[in-house]
Amino acid sequence: MIVSVAQDTGGVRDAGKWITAASPEYTVLIDDQHSVTRLYNMVNVPTGVWINEKGRIVRPNEVAYVDNRYKGMHGIDASEYLDAVRDWVAKGESSTYVLSESEMRQRLAPQNPDWSLAAAEFGLAEYLYHEGKVREAIPHYKEAQRLNPDNWNYKRQAWALSDAEKDYGTSFMKEVQKLQGKPYYPPRQLKKGDKQN
Amino acid sequence: MRKSILCLLIVALTSVAAIAATPTVVFDQVATKVTAAPSALLNPDNLWITLEDLKRATGFVVKPQGICRGELCFPIPKARRNAFLSKQGRVTWFNLSEFARLTKQPAAMDKENALWYFGPRPAEQNGYVESLIAPDFTLPDINGQKHSLSDYRGKKVLLITWASW
Repeated sequence: MIVSVAQDTGGVRDAGKWITAASPEYTVLIDDQHSVTRLYNMVNVPTGVWINEKGRIVRPNEVAYVDNRYKGMHGIDASEYLDAVRDWVAKGESSTYVLSESEMRQRLAPQNPDWSLAAAEFGLAEYLYHEGKVREAIPHYKEAQRLNPDNWNYKRQAWALSDAEKDYGTSFMKEVQKLQGKPYYPPRQLKKGDKQN
Repeated sequence: MRKSILCLLIVALTSVAAIAATPTVVFDQVATKVTAAPSALLNPDNLWITLEDLKRATGFVVKPQGICRGELCFPIPKARRNAFLSKQGRVTWFNLSEFARLTKQPAAMDKENALWYFGPRPAEQNGYVESLIAPDFTLPDINGQKHSLSDYRGKKVLLITWASW
């Protein structure tokens, strides 16, 4: 079962055309308050989480490309991830990709006070934006970005709703260049004990 | 001279109006308009609301054992009771900002819009790290039909987020 969730403040206005074009046979939902980002402490898209039949997470947040159209930018091969998903579907809990509880807890990052406050500032900005107070939302988007600088969802969503150069003095490409070789996505540890994949 | 005094008066009245505007509280992602506090309690660091608004906006009520919602109760430190509760005339006011500080609940505020946003407490947010149970959510599809993650209990779920941006 695939549950795909658009993290789009603009809701159907922004995500709708992509859903219509894809004409998916799986469930696609629209999250105009970035609730899933907050609930699962996600920092980027696409992020995948594996959940078993009992509703328990068996693999937490990780980059989850399912094709290679952007591989030239980030170097992540989708086929390895798709093979892992197929292995889990076929073998269930005995799949080599299902993580133990201890490994899960090592990978899950608990919220800290700054991230929680960042989520509140982002939520307030989203509320103002939905109320039509677009300009008044900007200082709160900026504060969310300052408090949780590793959260690309906070940055990219805010920039997309605005003129990023004019209102934030930056752009997505400029920020990626600032990484200076540091990976845009946290390295994926696909197999148990993998350092990087 | 008369013009300057008039300007000063307008500026003063405008800033009082900005603070005294009907506040909006967003709690658990639900917005509620609440009654503005009397001038003695107006303060950008503290949002005072009536006990009725406290219940309406947050579901919490004041009980002898503390501030409670269902089974969850936060005792008020006796020595600091005045920081949480204030009687003004016949009305008792509750300091929601101080309560957020007590419970380590993150709060963001927009002064111009008299808007107060209270997010989930980190302890609440981190519950799934201990239980490993996937946090549930309910969201609409493109046709507005609501789906909950828990609807798919009994099946393996690959949850994937994406965005148009």
